[in-house]
Amino acid sequence: MNALISLGNAYARIFTPGSLLLMAAGVSVGIIFGSIPGLSASMAVALFLPLTFSMSPSMGMNMLVAVYIGGISGGLISAILLNMPGTASSIATCFDGYPMAQKGEAGKALGFGIVFSFLGSVFSFIILTFCAPMLADIALKFTPAENFGISFFALTMVAVLASGSMLKGVLAGMLGLIFSLVGMAPIDGTARFTFGSSSLMAGYDTLPTLIGIFAISEILITAESMGHGQMETIKMKPIKGFGFTWKEFVYQIPNAIRSALIGTGIGILPGIGGSTSGMLAYVTAKNMSKHPEEFGKGCPDGIVATETANNATIGGAMIPLLVLGIPGDGVTAMMLGGFLIHGLSAGPLLFVKNADVVYGIFAACMICVTMMLLIEFFGIKVFVQLLKIPKHILMPLILVLCCVGAYATNNRIFDVQSILLFGLVGYLYHKFRLPTTPFVLCFLIGKMLETYLRRGIMQYKSFGAFFQRPIFDAFFFVAIGVVVWSVYKEYKMYLSKKAVKATEQS
Amino acid sequence: MFIKKYGDIIVGGFFMILSAGMMIMAKMLPKSTVMDIGPDFMPMCIGVVTFVLAAALVFFNVKNLKMRKAEAETMVKEDLDYKRMLTSFMLILVYVYLLQPVGFIITTILYLPFQMYVLAPDDKKTKKDVIQLTVTSVLFTFVVFFLFRYGFKIILPAGIFTINL
Repeated sequence: MNALISLGNAYARIFTPGSLLLMAAGVSVGIIFGSIPGLSASMAVALFLPLTFSMSPSMGMNMLVAVYIGGISGGLISAILLNMPGTASSIATCFDGYPMAQKGEAGKALGFGIVFSFLGSVFSFIILTFCAPMLADIALKFTPAENFGISFFALTMVAVLASGSMLKGVLAGMLGLIFSLVGMAPIDGTARFTFGSSSLMAGYDTLPTLIGIFAISEILITAESMGHGQMETIKMKPIKGFGFTWKEFVYQIPNAIRSALIGTGIGILPGIGGSTSGMLAYVTAKNMSKHPEEFGKGCPDGIVATETANNATIGGAMIPLLVLGIPGDGVTAMMLGGFLIHGLSAGPLLFVKNADVVYGIFAACMICVTMMLLIEFFGIKVFVQLLKIPKHILMPLILVLCCVGAYATNNRIFDVQSILLFGLVGYLYHKFRLPTTPFVLCFLIGKMLETYLRRGIMQYKSFGAFFQRPIFDAFFFVAIGVVVWSVYKEYKMYLSKKAVKATEQS
Repeated sequence: MFIKKYGDIIVGGFFMILSAGMMIMAKMLPKSTVMDIGPDFMPMCIGVVTFVLAAALVFFNVKNLKMRKAEAETMVKEDLDYKRMLTSFMLILVYVYLLQPVGFIITTILYLPFQMYVLAPDDKKTKKDVIQLTVTSVLFTFVVFFLFRYGFKIILPAGIFTINL
């Protein structure tokens, strides 16, 4: 009951024109940052940190929350329209969003993405508001062993992603793992595969890698198909409202609930983040679907799963941040900086000493996410105009933005150069018909997997001791089950294909 | 055509060589003295798995090569423009390497019109189009530069042309 009263008070305090205006500005800037590949939500938060100096603590934090929410959700725009994830969280949105846009259903895809982003966030905020302390308690008990279990589980999802031509898919992922090894090894810092280059010591950064794989390779592929002389323009189907019917909405509800749970769950665990949750939700949706073969060809289910999950991660990631002072990802780490600037210490005491700030944040979350819905809803028609710019003009402009984004990540030119390498990898993958998704997933998880494994072994002395942790056991054996089941399914598919061929020949 | 017939074998072969090289390099990494698994453990694991998978891919494809060839014959030949692709690649390559020494403004103003011209379809290469491309590029470059410099407080490489704007 106390919580509800505090929440009510917080809403009353927030509803002033000044703070609403600030939050709207925050959400808009967040969306712009999110939608440009290379500019991430964490950069947007970093940029706004100094601006909050002069504000009251509560107001400042609300503004940062606004930027965060806008930043995560803005990624879907470029993912759907340009096949370039604006942020790492929206990688899986590309898989179905872009094919939909090419079929002329860009408006509908955006509509789905926006509405389910909203619902995913709302779901996670409700959990955040009412269960934060309880959930943080459980997450606190996680040791490297459990985290290794989760990373391992996420990695085996590659086998599911690659179904159809599993060998090639898994191999495609292995290259991602190999690239993730470059640089200093976790824990002891031994230089591996750096070939004496000091730039390679820190390894390949995530953002330039993603930009290269998705954006640069797209430019090369476009260049290759430009020779026909005529420009293909995508015909847009006009949309009404959000572009989908009530029936379609109801159909997506189970998918959305599942994805929201995955997103919030992953968000609570420190260090895993929105990109993994979006991908996991996508794979799970594909697995559970009655028509998995439609995924990747423009199936709204894929967009719904990813966008619900990556936005649900926001609420999840705020739980350990507020309750324990442990940031769940890069953005929440920046937010922690925000707390420090205002002399607040995130952690259990925050709820006692600065309850007004905490409930202010809860209230701000809800308001910002509503603003995001409105801004993006009225923006759909404007965003879609992007597709009308001829490709030969649009692509080079995006490339420059990508380079600038890659440079701005760490202020080093090496990152800009590495996008070209990954662009080439992406292009060759396209040529040899290898899927890029496993590469990205493995690259993201590779480092985590090794860090947690070695940290776990340091703590428990041997791998066998991991099995004494029940949560690790659950993840580990489910992962093994997933692999066995996928291989079995693949084998069956191979047999049936063979049978079809045999009957054709006879 | 060639890729369709032998693509998977090439991929498998490439991965076999890569993983073999990686295993050799992993062997040379120092062993950890304090714990069971050192920095060489993961590269070795990944190397072995990759090698086995790549070998399997090559094996299955050599086995089914005849079928593959027949399949590839029936497919329509794609009409791809490798000249445009390679020129674009070279342009991007030059761009990313000149960005730091020459500076953002000059490189970008030069790169953009060239890249747009290369990508433009053949019927869009008239004088009027070229002027349009150049103007777009110049405007875009300055908008991006000032937006980052003053809006986002990110200083892009200045290069030979240091300006205190």
